[in-house]
Amino acid sequence: MLPATAAALAVLAALLAWPVPALLERARWPRRDPLVALVCWQAVGLAGGLSIIGALLVHGLAPWGHSLPEAAWSVLTGHPADAVVRGDHWVTLTLAGVLAAELVGVLLLSWLRTTRTRRRHRELLELVVRPAAQPEARLLEHPAPVAFCIPGGRPMLVLSSGMVAELDDAQLAAVVAHERAHLREHHHLYLLPFVAWEAALPVLPAAAGAHAAVRTLVEMRADDVALRSLSGPDRRRTLARAIVAAAGGAGGAAVPSGALAVAGGAVRERVVRLLAPPSPLPGWARVLALASAVLLLLVPTALLLLPAL
Amino acid sequence: MASLGELERTVMDRLWSASGPVSAAELREGLADRGLALTTVHTVLTRLEQKGFVVHDEARPRRFRPRATREEHAAELMHEVLGQAGDRQAALARFVGGVDADEARLLRELLDRG
Repeated sequence: MLPATAAALAVLAALLAWPVPALLERARWPRRDPLVALVCWQAVGLAGGLSIIGALLVHGLAPWGHSLPEAAWSVLTGHPADAVVRGDHWVTLTLAGVLAAELVGVLLLSWLRTTRTRRRHRELLELVVRPAAQPEARLLEHPAPVAFCIPGGRPMLVLSSGMVAELDDAQLAAVVAHERAHLREHHHLYLLPFVAWEAALPVLPAAAGAHAAVRTLVEMRADDVALRSLSGPDRRRTLARAIVAAAGGAGGAAVPSGALAVAGGAVRERVVRLLAPPSPLPGWARVLALASAVLLLLVPTALLLLPAL
Repeated sequence: MASLGELERTVMDRLWSASGPVSAAELREGLADRGLALTTVHTVLTRLEQKGFVVHDEARPRRFRPRATREEHAAELMHEVLGQAGDRQAALARFVGGVDADEARLLRELLDRG
């Protein structure tokens, strides 16, 4: 196993830790096709983790064989190393183990904690919500205009009475369609790794930015899906009106604004995008973006599995 | 047969509208039209207690009351589901977060212009 493989993986990891996410975060094209952009973000996250752990592993296991599978097999079967095992090999192996355990552990913990929190929310809600006029939606008696959904095995879509009072029927239908899109496309799963990795790697400036970008893209994607299920020539404006009404009305003391309030800029982006829709991404650009995402995953995988060049 | 969840809501409604602590037998009488067995009422009350929504006193028979008023429950719910205390990820799919007054004005202008 040549050090070139480890070096190539380390370079890839460095690129994916900052310049690539920074570029993707600033790019203008994601709002033209949020779904393709979401796929790209998943690839960046996955390839980043794979290449940093891979780089450490490849270097650490180098004395045992010429490729990662061969070296791993030698270690597992208790074969002695072919070359001298130095201190730096042990250090990188330990680092690889710690990092892998942290990333996977935090992901798992985050998932468990979120599941527990959602169950608690469902329990709190189930006591006070009643069926709403909109199909699949539940009505919560509360003056603040809010709508949200709790994803999971038994999803729940909630409208507050304040929201129902504030919006007309077409706008309410748009809100419900938006929330249903989140549930149907399991958007919480797109967010999970970014939530977890922001918690795991607070020192990585890209982690927070990536999380925010993915959050905004998920909302834009839900807007797009909602528009498709709505009819009427003015449906973009209807959804935009609903967003503005809900955002403006929620400023009161009835609802803690909390961490969600920082999304002010993202709300504006959504409204602008609805009122003046950007042209959709041309076919070739979609293919190019998706091919890049696949390539991003294939490169570290190939570097890890193939014998050293 | 009503689901447990629906029964929990019905019992909770009764407890909220009652003027004071209520025993399980009284609850069953209040829900006579549903023909519930006393054990069912107890099951529902136990579940509500485990979830922390109901407490009982030490009288014989035990009498139950809600831990918080309906309004407190709603306020707690909003705080937990949408507030900072809550997990951002858990309430991921809130339709839109609140914005400050300036931003709200800007959004309305956008809408009028567009």
